[in-house]
Amino acid sequence: MGVSLPLYSVLPFAGMLLSIAFFPLLAPKFWHHHFGKVSAFWAVVLVIPLVLKYQGGAVYEILHIVLADYVPFIILLGSLYTVSGGILLKGTLRGTPALNTGILAIGTILASWMGTTGAAMLLIRPLLRANAHRKNRTFMVIFFIFLVANVGGSLTPLGDPPLFLGFLRGVPFFWTFHLLPHMLVAAGILLTLYYLLDRHYYRREGITAAPDDGAQEPIRIEGAYNFIFLAGIVGAVLMSGMAKWGDISIAGIHRGVQDVVRDGLLVLMAGLSMAVTPRPLREANAFTWFPIQEVAILFIGIFLTMIPCLKILQAGSQGELAFLIAAVREPLHYFWITGMLSAFLDNAPTYLTFLSTAMGGFYPGVAESEAVMLLIKENPLYLLAISAGSVFFGAFTYIGNAPNFMVRSIAEEAGTPMPTFFGYLFKYSAPILGSVFVVISLLFFI
Amino acid sequence: MKIEKILFPTKFREFAFEALESLLVLKDAGLRDVVLHNVIPRDEVGFVPYGGYLKDEEERLREEARIRFQEWQQALSAHGIGSKIVIEVGDPVPNILALAEKEKIDLIVVGKKKKTGPELSFVGSHTLQLMTRSTVPILVSKHMVEYEFSGEMVTRLNDTVFQRPLLATDWSEPSTRALELLSSLKNVVEAVSVCHVIGVKIAKNLDKSGLHLLEKESRERLARYCERLTAAGIPAEPHLGAGRSVLEIIRIARETHATMIMMGTTGKDRLHEFFLGSNSHRVAEASELPTLLVP
Repeated sequence: MGVSLPLYSVLPFAGMLLSIAFFPLLAPKFWHHHFGKVSAFWAVVLVIPLVLKYQGGAVYEILHIVLADYVPFIILLGSLYTVSGGILLKGTLRGTPALNTGILAIGTILASWMGTTGAAMLLIRPLLRANAHRKNRTFMVIFFIFLVANVGGSLTPLGDPPLFLGFLRGVPFFWTFHLLPHMLVAAGILLTLYYLLDRHYYRREGITAAPDDGAQEPIRIEGAYNFIFLAGIVGAVLMSGMAKWGDISIAGIHRGVQDVVRDGLLVLMAGLSMAVTPRPLREANAFTWFPIQEVAILFIGIFLTMIPCLKILQAGSQGELAFLIAAVREPLHYFWITGMLSAFLDNAPTYLTFLSTAMGGFYPGVAESEAVMLLIKENPLYLLAISAGSVFFGAFTYIGNAPNFMVRSIAEEAGTPMPTFFGYLFKYSAPILGSVFVVISLLFFI
Repeated sequence: MKIEKILFPTKFREFAFEALESLLVLKDAGLRDVVLHNVIPRDEVGFVPYGGYLKDEEERLREEARIRFQEWQQALSAHGIGSKIVIEVGDPVPNILALAEKEKIDLIVVGKKKKTGPELSFVGSHTLQLMTRSTVPILVSKHMVEYEFSGEMVTRLNDTVFQRPLLATDWSEPSTRALELLSSLKNVVEAVSVCHVIGVKIAKNLDKSGLHLLEKESRERLARYCERLTAAGIPAEPHLGAGRSVLEIIRIARETHATMIMMGTTGKDRLHEFFLGSNSHRVAEASELPTLLVP
C-alpha cells in the first residue's frame, strides 16, 4: 500500500495535527466544545477514500492500528492516569528553592514509572500550594513542564507515550534506559538552572522565613496502596515484553496473547484503584475523566489519519516521501527534526513517523518487528536520537505533549499567570531548552 | 435543630428563583441567612485540549452568576433575610459539601424539574450523591414538576412546601432528628401527617398475632410522635400503612394532600446504594413532592 499511496493522502494527518496546533490558539472556546467533531472530520476524510480505493487492505490497516496501537495506548494512559489520580500528597509544604528543586527532582524520577501525566498530576497541586505565598511562580510551573511532564519520562515505555508506541512495535522495555545519560545531562542542567533562578527570585522577593499561618499539617501520602497497582502496571507491561504465549485473532488482526493479557491486567489495575480509593481522595486531587476522554477522542483521529504517512515512510525510497528519507540521514538530523516536529505536533505520532522513516531508510520492505530489532542492533544511535528528540522536545511548546496543557490549566486555575503560546516558546523554552538540546547534540549525536 | 442558614446551590435552571422564593416563609421559623452558591464545572473552563484554561470564559460565567445572584439578594433582603454569594470553579458535589461544612449550614436546597434518566427519576446524579454523603439535611425542592398520574401527564406546582408535611418514620435516629427539625417549624407548618409503613419484609415473617402486636406498637409510637408535635404547637395526625414502603409513603402523601415528604436517611456506602438503594432516596426519586431528608 505504501508504494502506491499518493503524497496528498497525508493531508488529513497534517490537517489533524495542524488543528491541534492552531485551534487552541485561535479559537479555544470552539475547540473546547467541538474538538471531537474536528477529530472525527479528519478521520472520515481519510477513512472513506482509503476504504473505497484499497477495500480489504484498508480495512485491515485500520483495524490493525486501532486494535494493536490505539487501544493498548489508551488503556496504558488511562490506567496510569486512574491509578496516579488515587494518590494524594497532603501536608504543609513551604516553597523554598531547595524544596521546590526537590519536588522537581522527585517528579523527574517518578515520571518514568508512573507516566509524565501521572507524576505531573501528583505533584503540580502540592507545588502550587507550597508556593502560594511566592510572588514569582510562573517559572516554577514552566520548569515543572520541562522536567516532570517531559524530560523525566524518557527512561521507560511507561514514561512518555512515544516510547510506549515504540515498545508496542518491538523496542524492549529496558532498552530505553540507554537514554539515561541524555536524561541525566538534560535534567542536571535544568535542575541546576532552576535552583539558581528560584534562589534569585526568593531573595528578591525578600522572603526570610516561610509564612506561619498556624495550620501546620505533617506531610503524608494518602492512597499509597495505589503504588501497588502502579507496580502491577509496570509488571504487566514488562510481562508482555518478555512472554511469548502465541497469537490470537481479533477481528482478523493477530495479537499476542501476552499483549491482550497485559491490556486486561491494566484495566484490572485501574478498576481496583477506582474501587478501593475513597471518592473524597480523588476529589481532593480534582480527579476527572475529562482529560483522558480528550486524549482518547483526539488520538483516534491521529492514529487513523497517520496510516498513509506511516505506510509511505515504510516503503522507503519507493514511496512518495523518499525525499524526506533521503534528507534525514544522520542521528543529529533525526534528533532535531523529530524534536522540532514533536514540539509543534504531538510527539507520539511524530515518533512513529520517524521510526518508520529510519526503518524505511535502512531496511525498506523488511517486516516492522524485524526492522526494529535490526535498527537496535546495527544503528541504535538513530533510535536514541528519535526517542530523545520526541520526548525532550515535547516540552518545547504547550502542544508538544498532553500533560503540558493539563499542568498549564491547573496552574492558571490556581491563579498562577502563565505565558501565552509564543511567550512560553520565545521567553522560556527556546532559550533554555534550545541551549540544553545543543549540549545534548554535542555530547551524544555528533 | 433549627433552620437558620440555608445553602442554595444553583445552575440557574428554570424555576430556580421561584424555588428560592418558596423558602422565604422559613423566616418565621428562624431563617436568618441564605448562601447562594454557583459552581462552574471545572471541565467547562479547564483542560482545553492542548490549550489550557479559559480564563475569560471563567470571568464571564462568574460575572453572569454574580449579576443574577445580586437580583436574588434584593428579594431576600426585602424579606429581612441576609445572604452571601459564593461562586467557584470546581466539582459541584464536593464543593457543595465543603461549603456546607465551612458555613455551618442547616439545610441544603437542591432542585429538579423533570424526571430524567432511564429510571425517570426526580433526582439527578449530583443530588443523589449529595443525599448519600451529606451530614446536613437536604431538601429536593421540585418547584414545578411533570409526572404521570393515572396514565396522564400532570404538572404540579410545589410552592407551599412547608404547609402540610408528611413525616415518614421508620423509628430510626435520623427519623427522630427529622421530628425535631419539624418541631422547629411551628410558625410555618399548618398541620403534619405522620406515617409509618409496616414493610413487606417484616410482615411476611410474622403470624397474625405477631402482626397485630406490631400494628398496636406502631400505632402507639405514631401517637407519641404526634403528641410531641402537638406539644410543639403543630397539629398532627397519624397514618399507618402496610406493604411496599416507598409506594405506601407516596400513596399516603397523596391521600393526605401533603405538600412535602420528610424522612430520616442513613448514609449508605456506594455498594449498598448501588445494589439496594434506600427507601428515603427512592421516595425522593419517585415522588412528585418536595422531599426533605434528614441524616
